[in-house]
Amino acid sequence: MENKSDALLRKMLKNWVNRQHPPDSSRGRLLWDAAHISSSKIDLTLIFLHPQAKPYSSSAENDWHQKFFSWINENSIQFGIQAHII
Amino acid sequence: MSKGAEEKRVISDSELALSLQAGSLEALGVLYDRHRGLVFRTALAITGDAEAAADLMHDVFLRLHRFAAHIDPQRPLEPWLYRMTTNLSYTWVKRRQRWFRPLEDVADWLAGTHKDTPAYQAEMDDSWRQVQQAVSSLPLSHRGVVVLYYVNDLSLQEISEILDIPVGTVKSRLHYGRQALKQNLGLLAGEILPELQYEFT
Repeated sequence: MENKSDALLRKMLKNWVNRQHPPDSSRGRLLWDAAHISSSKIDLTLIFLHPQAKPYSSSAENDWHQKFFSWINENSIQFGIQAHII
Repeated sequence: MSKGAEEKRVISDSELALSLQAGSLEALGVLYDRHRGLVFRTALAITGDAEAAADLMHDVFLRLHRFAAHIDPQRPLEPWLYRMTTNLSYTWVKRRQRWFRPLEDVADWLAGTHKDTPAYQAEMDDSWRQVQQAVSSLPLSHRGVVVLYYVNDLSLQEISEILDIPVGTVKSRLHYGRQALKQNLGLLAGEILPELQYEFT
C-alpha cells in the first residue's frame, strides 16, 4: 500500500504534466505528414550503409559507450526496431 | 446488435492496428486521439520540455504509421507506445546533454530569448519549475522508471516488460529515484508546497 508521501509525489507529478497539452494543430500535422511519407518495407542494409546516428563530438578518448548507445538507439528507432539499453 | 449499438461500439486497438496496416489514416487519427495523452505526458515528464514532448509525440505516431506492418495487432498497443516514447525521449535528452544544449543556449543568448528572462519566469511558476528540475536531475534510467510508475500508473511488472529490464532493477531504480525526488521536493521533511497538492480532475 502506498504511503502518504508516495501518494503526494504521484499527485504532484500528475498535476505537473497535466498542466500542459499538445498544440491543437498536432493532429492535422500528423495526418498530413503520414499521408506524405512512404510506409514501404525497411531495407536493413541501410542501417549499415547509411547510419542515422549523428557523429557526436567526443570530448574524451573513452567515450565509446556513448557512441554505442547513440548508434543502437537511433538506428533502432529510425528503422522501427525495438532495442533496449540498460 | 441494434444499429445504434453497433454505431456506438468502440473499435478496439487491435482492429485499428489492422486498418493501419492496410494504410488507413482514419485509424491513425483514432489511435492518436485515444493515446496521445499517455505519449505526451510520458515524453513531457522525461524531457521536461513541452515543445519537445509535442515533437516526440508526433514522431511516435508517425512511426506507428510507418512501421505498422511490424506491429502485432493481437498484442496490446500501449506497451509499444510507451517503449517508443521512452526510447525517443531518452535519445532527445542524450542529444541535448551532449551538444545541442550549448548551441541552443548560445542561440538563445544571441536572440535575447534566454530562459532566465522575466517573461519566461512569469510563464513558469516557481513551484512547478522545482518539480521539473527535480525530475530532470534524476539519472535518465531512474527518470524513465519513475515516470512510468507515478505518471502513468504502470505496475513494476509492466515497466519491466516495457523497458526490458528485470523487476528487481525496476524496484531498485524506483527506490533511488523516489528517494531523490522526495528529498529534492521536501517531501521527506514535510515541507511540501501546498499549491502542488491540489486534486487533479
